[in-house]
This record gives sequence, C-alpha cells and structure tokens, in this order.
Amino acid sequence: MFGVLASMMDGVLVGAVYGLAAIGLTLIWGVMDIINLTHGAMIALGMFGLYLLFGHLGLTPYAALAPVAAGGFVLGVVIYWVAVHRVIRRPPLMSLLATFAVNMVVIGLGTAVWSTSPYNVAFSVPGITWHGFTFTGAHILAAISSVMIAGALYLFMRFTRLGKAIRAVASNRQAAELMGIPSNQVLAIAFGLGIGLAAVAGGLIATLFPFTVLSGDDYQLKSFVVTVLGGLGNPAGALLGGLVLGLIEGGVTPFIAVSWTPVIEFVLFVLILIAFPQGLFGRRAER
Amino acid sequence: MGGEAILEIQQLEAGYGEVQVLWGLSLRVAQGRVTTIVGANGAGKTTTLRAVSGLIRGRAGRILLEGEDITRLPAYGRTRRGLVLVPEGRQLFPDMTVMENLEMGAFAPRGRRHMARNLERVFTLFPRLQERRSQKASTFSGGEQQMLAVGRGLMAEPAVLMIDELSLGLSPLLAQQLFSTLKQLKDSGTTILLVEQNVHLSLALSDYAYVLAEGRIFTEGPARQVAEHAEIRTAYLGL
Repeated sequence: MFGVLASMMDGVLVGAVYGLAAIGLTLIWGVMDIINLTHGAMIALGMFGLYLLFGHLGLTPYAALAPVAAGGFVLGVVIYWVAVHRVIRRPPLMSLLATFAVNMVVIGLGTAVWSTSPYNVAFSVPGITWHGFTFTGAHILAAISSVMIAGALYLFMRFTRLGKAIRAVASNRQAAELMGIPSNQVLAIAFGLGIGLAAVAGGLIATLFPFTVLSGDDYQLKSFVVTVLGGLGNPAGALLGGLVLGLIEGGVTPFIAVSWTPVIEFVLFVLILIAFPQGLFGRRAER
Repeated sequence: MGGEAILEIQQLEAGYGEVQVLWGLSLRVAQGRVTTIVGANGAGKTTTLRAVSGLIRGRAGRILLEGEDITRLPAYGRTRRGLVLVPEGRQLFPDMTVMENLEMGAFAPRGRRHMARNLERVFTLFPRLQERRSQKASTFSGGEQQMLAVGRGLMAEPAVLMIDELSLGLSPLLAQQLFSTLKQLKDSGTTILLVEQNVHLSLALSDYAYVLAEGRIFTEGPARQVAEHAEIRTAYLGL
C-alpha cells in the first residue's frame, strides 16, 4: 500500500513537468486560438538541445535549461512568421495543417540527424529515500524547476507591460491595436513563449527518461489530456491538470504494464470531454 | 470651418468585402474643436471612423494627420501618432482591471511619457474610476464602462480623439453626464471627432457638423446651422 502512495507522489513530481509542457500549448491556444501541432516536435528539440548542451558543452542540465528556453523562443518566433501568422483567424483546419507541416519537417530533419534510436542524459543527483522508496533527485529538481518556471510566467503575464499586452491582444485584438499595441509582434512573442515552454519541458523530461526524436509525440498527447483536464486556455489549470495526470499515472503503474498507460489516459480524456466539456478547472477563454 | 485642420480625409472610399459603404468622403477636423458626423443609420458613420482609425483598409483616398499622410499606417501606428478611437461598444478588456485597461491605453510611447499626468486627469474627470481602480472591467455597468473607454482613450494622449456612439445603450441622464464631460474636454482644448446617433446632444456640443447620407457628405456647416436647417432635420436627422 505504501508503495502505491509513494508511486503516486513520484507521479506528481513528473506531472509537474507535464503541466509545464501543457502550459506552452494552452498559452498559444488561449492567446491566438491555434492548436499548435508542432508542440511535440518542440518538446523533442528541447530534449536534444539539453542533451547537446550537457553532453558536448558540459553544462549542468539545469543551467542548460536557460539556453534551451531561449532557443525555443527564437525558433517559435520564426515559426510564427513563417507558418502561423497568415492562418490566424482562418478556419481551424488551416492552422492545424500548417503547424502539423512544421512538425513533420522538424521530425524529419531530427530523424536524419539523430535517427530514431534512444538517447539519455546520464547524470545523477542524490535523491531522498523515505521508508525504502527513493524519490530521485532528478524528479524532485524537475518538479521544482517546473513550478518555478510556471510561477515566473504567471508573474510575467500579470505584472509586466508586455505580459499585459499579450493578455490584451488575447482578449480583444482590435481593441489592442487601437491602444497602439502592434498585435502581430505581440502574437509572435506569445508563440515564442509557448514554444520556449515546450522546449524547456522537453529538456526537463530528458533529465527523467530516455528519449528519441519521436518521443515528443507522446508528450504532446499528454499535453492535450492535461489541457483538457485543466480547461483550454487556462495556464494555472494546465499545471494542476499535469499534477492530476501524474498522480493517476503513478497510481496505476504499480499494477499494470506501462503500455496500458495511454489507454487509461485517453479513456480518461474522452470521459472528461463528455462529463466536463470546460475541463475540471475549466473556464472557457472568453471572447 | 475655422481653425487649422489637424485631420484631413480626402476622397475616402471603404467598405466590407463586396459591399462598398463610403463613396469618396472628404472632411476636415479643426484643431481644438469638436466636429461631428451625423446621419441616418447605415449612412456610413461608424465605417468612416473604422477606416480613419485603420481597423479597415480604405480602398481609395488619403488621410492626413497634422499634414502627414498616414493612409498606409496600420491601426496601432495611427494610435502612436495620436489618432485615437474610442470604439463603438467600448471594447474594453473585460478580464483586466480598471488600472490595467488604463495602462493599456497608455501603451504607445506618447501616452507612456505622460502617464502620471493623464491618469490624474482621467481620475479627476471620472472619480468613479479611481474608486474602482482594481476592479475588473467586466463588473462595470454600461455607463461606467463607457467612462472607462473614454478614459482609456485619453491615456493615449490623443491629438484627435474620435468617439463612436458615446451614448449608445445609456440612459438619457447618463448620456447627458458623459456629454458634459466631453464639454470639459473641449474647453481644455481637446480635438474631438464625434459620431453619434443622439443628434441633439452632438450638435449642441459641436462646432462643426457633417451630414452623411449613403456614404457621401450630403452637406456640412457650423453645427448650429445644421441643427436649424429644416430640410436636413426631416430628411437626414429624423427630427
């Protein structure tokens, strides 16, 4: 019995990282109504970014998060101007296809460079052992990092001029333009932030589990589940949703094979969509 | 019309999709005066302000602000030059507080430079906003929202303040109160371009009026003359 409890607690630690990834997805949705299908590819790039900075430059994984985030931000701004800018406020299928196309290009290039064989970031930090169950240092630090980054994002959106401008554009783009806010630039920055968060989450996941170029897809799907749990467009809900998903994963893994996890997650996904269309902590983004 | 033209619209044509609404509209707004556009519903009053503010693109014609051609500037660029619109339906940011809405009004550099002074001015004009500065805009009544919309426009340090349908959806008493606030603004030298369905209130406040019909200027003149012109009253103003 205690083993299950500990597994659930460990799941919550990992779930914080799922939550961080989902915040990236939900931020982009909330601000510009776009479901970003490059999310998984950006998570994968974050994994490999961290791998390279750690393996080749010798940065500690946590110090490497800053350049991974910055790289993700810049890449996000580029993707915005190339693929997203023109499909905003067009039928949803267009933005889905545009971001999916970028996803395929990135995954294809990534496969050419790194093949699809597994990589891992080999380091260890002392963990905490409690009644015979060890919470690894990597899990604890990943959870702390995720919560801190999510908190920093909250403060940024709440209190800075640029953060407020992003909220203004999300709320009413025309009115924001009338305030002298260049909405295209603001949207590009918001998209960059969303991608930066995906990349950082990918980097943190790389410190937890082995990964391949294709791993991003799994975490993209988890992000969808989390986003629906938390309510689309609601960053705080996304973090909570991540914790809940981690808790559930931790709760079931002692009993069944890992391959069953997605089955359980997606049954949950469908059930929540039916029972709580607004998400568990949901409040539909107002428009 | 008296006074120097700070805003000049020349032969403006604009519309939505296939539908053309404005057919070569020209007008001038004099510095420090209140100019109003009146006309029946569907005459193109709101479309005029949307085209002048850059929310829709004109198809032909020129817009000059302080002698500079701003026809090609996007909406945010026009606000940065001081051409500020208080839009129809207020268009506040409902999830943001009063302070945050006002800060957004002062987003452009010219507003940000004078933020403290303009904030004091707005709070003097509308003490209500100061009392409720940390409340969300969505909790406001219609009249309070309109005060906030005007206050937000003033935060931008407007060279020309354009106001679309200030009295829409407000009680006659509230509309009158807001117009007396506009009178104070006028007396302090603010240049205003007003589009208003309440012809009585707008002509009483304004120095100069344009009567718009079917996307063209039907006639123009000092507001008092337009108000007294019998044919205009019956045919175009429904009085």
